[in-house]
Amino acid sequence: MSAAVPLVDTTIPALARVERTGQALLLAVLLRATMASAGVLVAALAMLAAFDVALGLPILIRLLALPLALVAAVAVGLRGWRDGRGARSREQVALWIEERVPALRYALATLADARLQRSAATLELERIVGEVSWTHAVRRAAAGALLAPGALLILSAAVLAALPGASVVRVMRPRPGDVLDAALPLRGRRSVLAPLVATVTPPAYTGRNAVTIEEPVSVAGIAGSEVAFEGRGSASRVRAQLGTDTILARTDGTRWQVRLRMPARALALRLADGTVERLVTIEPYPDSAPVVTLRTPARDSVFRNATGTIPLAADASDDLGLAETRFEYIISSGEMESFTFRTGALQPRVLHGERRAELEASLVLGALSLSPGDVIHIRAVAGDANTVTGPGRGASETRTIRIARRGEYDSVAVEALPSILGDTAALSQRMLIMLAEALERRRPHLARDTVVGASRDIAVDQARLRRRVADIVFMRVGGESSGEESEGDNDANRPTTPEQVLAAAESAASRNLGVPLDFAADESPVIAVNRPLLDAYNAMWEAGRWLEIGEPDDALPHMRAALAAIQRARQAERIYLRGRPPTQVVDLRDARLKGDRALAAASLRFPTAALGAERARLMARLAAAAGLARAAPADASDSLLLVRLDALGLYPAFAGAVGRAAATLRRGADATADILRARDALLGAPRHAGTLPDWGAAP
Amino acid sequence: MSAFVFATAQYESGDWDSAPLVPSNIIDTIARYTSIDTAPAGAIVPLGSPELFRYPFVYLTGHLPVRFSDAERANARRWVERGGFLFVDDHNHDVDGQFHKTVTEEFARTFGSMTRLPASHPLYCAFFTFEEGPPTTSHELNGWGDNLVHRYLDAVLVGGKIGVLYSNKDYSSEWNYHPQNKRFFAIDNTKFAVNLVVHALTR
Repeated sequence: MSAAVPLVDTTIPALARVERTGQALLLAVLLRATMASAGVLVAALAMLAAFDVALGLPILIRLLALPLALVAAVAVGLRGWRDGRGARSREQVALWIEERVPALRYALATLADARLQRSAATLELERIVGEVSWTHAVRRAAAGALLAPGALLILSAAVLAALPGASVVRVMRPRPGDVLDAALPLRGRRSVLAPLVATVTPPAYTGRNAVTIEEPVSVAGIAGSEVAFEGRGSASRVRAQLGTDTILARTDGTRWQVRLRMPARALALRLADGTVERLVTIEPYPDSAPVVTLRTPARDSVFRNATGTIPLAADASDDLGLAETRFEYIISSGEMESFTFRTGALQPRVLHGERRAELEASLVLGALSLSPGDVIHIRAVAGDANTVTGPGRGASETRTIRIARRGEYDSVAVEALPSILGDTAALSQRMLIMLAEALERRRPHLARDTVVGASRDIAVDQARLRRRVADIVFMRVGGESSGEESEGDNDANRPTTPEQVLAAAESAASRNLGVPLDFAADESPVIAVNRPLLDAYNAMWEAGRWLEIGEPDDALPHMRAALAAIQRARQAERIYLRGRPPTQVVDLRDARLKGDRALAAASLRFPTAALGAERARLMARLAAAAGLARAAPADASDSLLLVRLDALGLYPAFAGAVGRAAATLRRGADATADILRARDALLGAPRHAGTLPDWGAAP
Repeated sequence: MSAFVFATAQYESGDWDSAPLVPSNIIDTIARYTSIDTAPAGAIVPLGSPELFRYPFVYLTGHLPVRFSDAERANARRWVERGGFLFVDDHNHDVDGQFHKTVTEEFARTFGSMTRLPASHPLYCAFFTFEEGPPTTSHELNGWGDNLVHRYLDAVLVGGKIGVLYSNKDYSSEWNYHPQNKRFFAIDNTKFAVNLVVHALTR
C-alpha cells in the first residue's frame, strides 16, 4: 500500500449499509422521544381531568398544571432525543450493530473506524460484513424502544377520552367562570347558588373587556356596567333582590341568570334559594373626570395695554380616554353691579380615546376688543367619552389676565367700591329702566289706566332714587345730608327744582374750585363737585315727569342718561383699599327679640351625634360579626359584607379589610387576621382628629 | 360658650365683598328673633386660612367668575368635612351668570356633586316655617338674573348633613341693606337667615 486512503466514503457497500441503519435508528429515536413526550402530556391531562372530576380543581391549579405538564413533556422528549444521540455517529452505529450481531466479529466496527487505512485486509473485512444481515436485529430493537411510550400514549388517550369533555376543556383551556362547566364535586351541592359566577361587562365606550369572577363576595365595576350572575339549575328556585328592588332570574339552558346594571351607589345583592342565601355587594366606581393642568401662563398677570400674544399650554389626561380638549376664556367687563361677560374657546380638538393630550394655543389680546379694567379668565378644559354617566369634564386652574385701568398705577392696589353703602332698598336706576322697558313692551296689551298706574309706580321709585342722589349731591356741596324733600324740612333756602339744585351746585363748585373740601381722617378728599351726578339728578327729574303722565317710552331716554351719568360718577371718584370694607356694628341690645316671633315654630332639635359615633357603630357591628365567625361563618360573612357596604364611602381602608375578611370566611378559612386588620384600619387611623370648637348653640 | 360670629369668606378671585351689608343685617336679624349669643360685628375670614375653623357658619358671595386656589380648595374641603356650614349665594344679576357656572364647577371639584334639597328639609322649619321651600326674592319676582324663580336650594351633604348650601336666588341683593331699614318692610325678608343660622348650629 503506497498511499494511505481513509475509508470514509460511502462507496464501500458495508459503510453505506451502516449509514442507512443509522438513519433508521435516528428516526426510531425521534419517534420514541415524541411518543414519550406526548404520552407524558396526555397522561398529565388525564390525571388532572380525573382530579377535576373528583375534586373540582381551582382555576389557579389548572392554570399552573398545564404549563407544568408541557414542560415535563418537553423534558422527557429532549431526554429521549439526547439518549439516542449515538445514532448520528457511524462508529457508534457500527458498534451498536456489532453488539446485536456477533457474526460480524468486529469486522464492521473495524471498517467504520475512521483511522483505518485502505489495504488488502479491508477487502476481507468487507467480505465478512457482506455475508451478514442485521435488518432483523434493527427492527426488533426499534420496536422494543417504541413499545413503552406508545403504550403510555394510547392508555392515557383512552382515559382522557373516557372522562367528561367539560372537565377536559377546563383542564386544557382554563378560564374564569368555567366553574359552571365542572362535573359535580363528590360532596354534591346543596343549592343552585353554588357555584356562582359574576361577569362584569363595562360600558362600550371604555373599550375594556368583560371580567368574570367566580364565587364573588363583592363585585366592583365602573358605573353603568352590566353585571350578570350565573349559576346551574332552574331560575324558578332563585330569588334576587338588589337593595329594595326585586330582580327576575331567567333560565338559559341548564343555567339560571340574573342581570342588572351597576347602580349609582353601592348596594347589596341578596340571592336566595329556599333557605340558602348569598350576599354579594355591588360596588360601582365612577369614571374619573379628566385631569387638566395649565402649564402656561403660570401665574396671573396685569397688562398695561391690551396688546401682544399670550402662549397657552396645558396637559390633559384621563383614566379611560379623552374625547375633547380646548381652552376656554371668559372676559368680564364692568364693575360694581354692572358686569358683562363674553366667553369663547380656543383650539378645540376632538380626540379618540387617547389617555393623554397636550394642548397648545395662543391668545391674541388685540383681537379680543379689550378695554381697561377687563379681566380674562383662562383655563383648559377636557371631556371624556363617558356616554353613560357623563361626559366627565375636567378643568384646569384658572389664570386671570387683567388689563389695567387708566390711572391705576398712580396708586397701589385700588379697586372700585362695592355696592353703595346705606339704604339700598330703593330700586336702582338700572332696575327702573328694566321695569319701564317691561311696561313699554306690555303697553299694547294694557288699558291706558293700567299703563298710567304702573308708570306712576315707577315714577315713585324714580323720585325716591332722585332724592337719594340729591342727598349725595348736597352732602358733597354743603357737607351734610339734606334731601330735597325731606319730611319736616321747611328750610326756605332749600332748592326745590332741578334748576335750583344745579344752580346751588354750580355756586358751590365755583366757590370751592381747586380747594379741597373738608374731609374726615380716613376719607378720600373731595376736590370737586360731582357734575355727572348732577346730570343724573336732572335726567331723573325729566324721566319722572314723563312717568307721571304715563309715558314710559318718553321717560326711557332720560332714565338711560341718568344711568350713564351715575356710571360716570362712580368711575370718577369712588376708590377704596381692597380688603378693608367698613365694619358695621349692630346694636344687639336694641335689636334683641324685637322681631315678631309669632310665626316662629321651631321644630324640635336634638343634639347631634359626635363625629366618631359612626365609627363606634361600625366597630360594634364588626365585633358582632366576628362573634359569629366560628359558629356561623356564612352568616358572619354576610354581616361583614353589610358592614363593608356602609363603610365604603366613609372608611375605604376599613371597608377593604372587612371585604377580605368576608371573602376569607366565605372560603371557609380562618378570618381572625383579616378581622384584626379591619379593626386596626378603623381604630388605628382616626379620620376626625380633635374636637369641635365651641361654636355656640341655638336657644 | 363663645358668641356666634357671622363670618364672610374672602377668596382670592372675584369680588367676595359684593354684599357688605348682609352680615350686619343678618346679625341684627339673629338678635331680633333669637336669644343666640351673637357677636355684634361680622368677621372676614380667608377661605384658605386656618382661621376658617373658628367659624361654624360662613357666608360666600360674589358677582364674578370664581376660582379657588389649591389652598382654598383643600382648606374649605377639610372645614366642611369637619362640620362647617358654607352658605353660598349667587349675587350675579346677569342672565349668563358666570358666578353660578364657575362656582358650581368649583364645588363639584372641591366637595363633590350637589343634591337638591326638598321643601320638606329640616332647614325650612328650623325656626320659621317655609312650607314651600326657600322664600322667593324680589329679584326673582322682578325677573332679574336668569329670569327664573328658583324653587329649591342645592346642597353638598356630608354624612347626611348640609355642608355647603348653594342658592342662586340672590339673597345677597335681597338682604344687602342697613338693618335699621327693616322697619320699612311690612314683612321682614331676612327671616330665612334665622333658619340658616339655627340649622347650621344645631344640625
